[in-house]
Amino acid sequence: MLAGVLLLRRSWLARPKAGRSVAPAGWSLIAAGIVAAAYGAGGKLGSALALLALSAWGYAAVAATIELRRGRQNTARDVAMEPTERPTNWPRAIAKSLLAIVLAGVASIGLGVAFAVAMPMSAPDRIVIGGLLVPLLWGGGMAWTLCDAKLGRATLVLLAVSAFGYGVAFLPKVFA
Amino acid sequence: MDDRVSPKIKRRPFLAPDFVRAMLAGHSALGLAFAALIYIVCLSGTLSVFIFELQRWEQPDAPHVAAPISADIAAAATRNGYAQSVKDNAAHDLTVTGPSARSPWLLVNYRDHETNVDGAWVANDQGELVARVATPFSDFIGNLHMHLHLPRTWGLFLVGLTGVALLSSLISGLLSHPRLFKDAFALRWGGSKRLQEADLHNRLGVWGLPFHVVVSLTGALLGLSTLIVGVLAMAAYDGNSEAAFAAILGPQPGPSEVAAPLPDVAAMIRAVEAETPGATFTNLSVGHVGHAEQLVSLGISTPQQIAFSEAYHFDGDGRPRGVTGLENGSVGQQILGVLQPLHFGWFGGLTIKLIYGLLGLGLTIVTHTGVTIWLARRRDKGRAVPGWERVWSAVGWGQPFGFGVAAVLALAGQSAAVILAGYLVACAAALGVAAVAADADKTTRALRWLSALSFVAAIALHLQTRAGRLDDVMSFGVDAAIALAAVLIVIPALRGSRRALSAA
Repeated sequence: MLAGVLLLRRSWLARPKAGRSVAPAGWSLIAAGIVAAAYGAGGKLGSALALLALSAWGYAAVAATIELRRGRQNTARDVAMEPTERPTNWPRAIAKSLLAIVLAGVASIGLGVAFAVAMPMSAPDRIVIGGLLVPLLWGGGMAWTLCDAKLGRATLVLLAVSAFGYGVAFLPKVFA
Repeated sequence: MDDRVSPKIKRRPFLAPDFVRAMLAGHSALGLAFAALIYIVCLSGTLSVFIFELQRWEQPDAPHVAAPISADIAAAATRNGYAQSVKDNAAHDLTVTGPSARSPWLLVNYRDHETNVDGAWVANDQGELVARVATPFSDFIGNLHMHLHLPRTWGLFLVGLTGVALLSSLISGLLSHPRLFKDAFALRWGGSKRLQEADLHNRLGVWGLPFHVVVSLTGALLGLSTLIVGVLAMAAYDGNSEAAFAAILGPQPGPSEVAAPLPDVAAMIRAVEAETPGATFTNLSVGHVGHAEQLVSLGISTPQQIAFSEAYHFDGDGRPRGVTGLENGSVGQQILGVLQPLHFGWFGGLTIKLIYGLLGLGLTIVTHTGVTIWLARRRDKGRAVPGWERVWSAVGWGQPFGFGVAAVLALAGQSAAVILAGYLVACAAALGVAAVAADADKTTRALRWLSALSFVAAIALHLQTRAGRLDDVMSFGVDAAIALAAVLIVIPALRGSRRALSAA
């Protein structure tokens, strides 16, 4: 795992035309480390331990690469990309918050519950996977809604998704 | 995540610059809206990883019991716990938690949701209850992390929503980071504050990503589960949330009020251990204890698992009622089993907890630097907001100060309400410091000193109030960790003070 991280470090710190990249070899070693840990310590426990080790070695490698600077000496590479500057006002900010927090939440819960009701799986699988989908979809919807400048489009999509989700979830009960 | 990009783009970028800028704008807005909540939840969550160590620090004379305990000891603890719960008018749900890699305590808990009375005891290696659990600081930290000390349902929902916001920030951060890999090792320290903070934010964020995704996803699900199951119950279980939970968790006790003898839990434990090689007792719970439809759920663990245990269910008379499948059941059942241990890092020993602590602190710093990048960007553009710089400094450094004050009050034997009030006063005082300080650096320096002093006061009070009963070496370990934190917090403040003096 550490060897994989070090190969990635060597590859990514090298100049763009400094020979063949060793990044694929680094990724391969990391993948092999995860597989070996899963084989040795059990699939769930081993892969969790391997990913923790990857993060810890990554932090250590970053700490070993620290570049101490004095004064402002920014190079062209240090120039940051700037976020889009959008004209905004309170009504628009409140509308965006409602879309990202409330409507995206309503839509994601609808889809998660639809999954939990309608998928052809055992009850625990349907419910737990459906539940797990909710924060994933909500988070994704929140990110998309906040980056999309067109409020009308986001509103329509989220309303359509909500109608679909709650339709699938509640129609069987309505027609029962 | 904010990031550096090359101004000379030779190849067509994987993500269009306009898309990246739009994502950055969304990332900033989301981060600013939820920053304080995410920060508090992450910092208290980092401490919650060590909740069992904090409990041992607060109650260092509690007996340790070697793991695993025998079936007879578990049965004795069950009998003694039931007798005490009857005395306390809290005999409804009884839990016995055996010692494990998480904690060496044999714990007995009981709660009656009708009388709203509960109790928690530490038992010795004979299953005798020897002391009530008295760990108010650990309780304070745990409750802050789980529901922010708000009414439980609302607090859980707000923390769940915070987890969703964190997950969303991870998604938008990844998509606004076109040089995710190329810059994965770049940490430029000193010089431009914005560059330094951005590098710290991005490096901690990228390498901690698997951990960040896991804790935000599991945390969001744990927080939102009541809401999701509530909607599911309306759709498919006639509004009965308990029935929906039972579909996942397995059988539940019945409502019968007919008295019945305590179940023979020792025989049940022996039966399961005999059938499952390598299995050891972890915990048990008896729902509606002492009544005809009581249900025993045994937690029996096998090696190489993340789940705390597998749950085996029995009627009061010993008839098996099924297995939940937390260790080796279906995908959904196994996910259910790993949610809590994965969220808190409670699936190994102290080493796993220390790595979780490091990564949790990393996530806390990612949250804090997210706002400082925004503030530095405004300053670089000549649109500085010094008032907000001071406020954010107070939010960030008010938390360790608040935790230190809460620890002092807890060690002094104050009630939960006083501890919470002390924490809130400390947070308000931090904002007061921000109001009178000349700038954010001075606010940070003052609050670093106050935090370190409160930590030292907590250590001194711990050694004084627990003198003569510091039987647990872990309590010295926690004192040492707090002392180290105080030193690490105060060193930059000391350097800052020296620089300010020499400049003057």
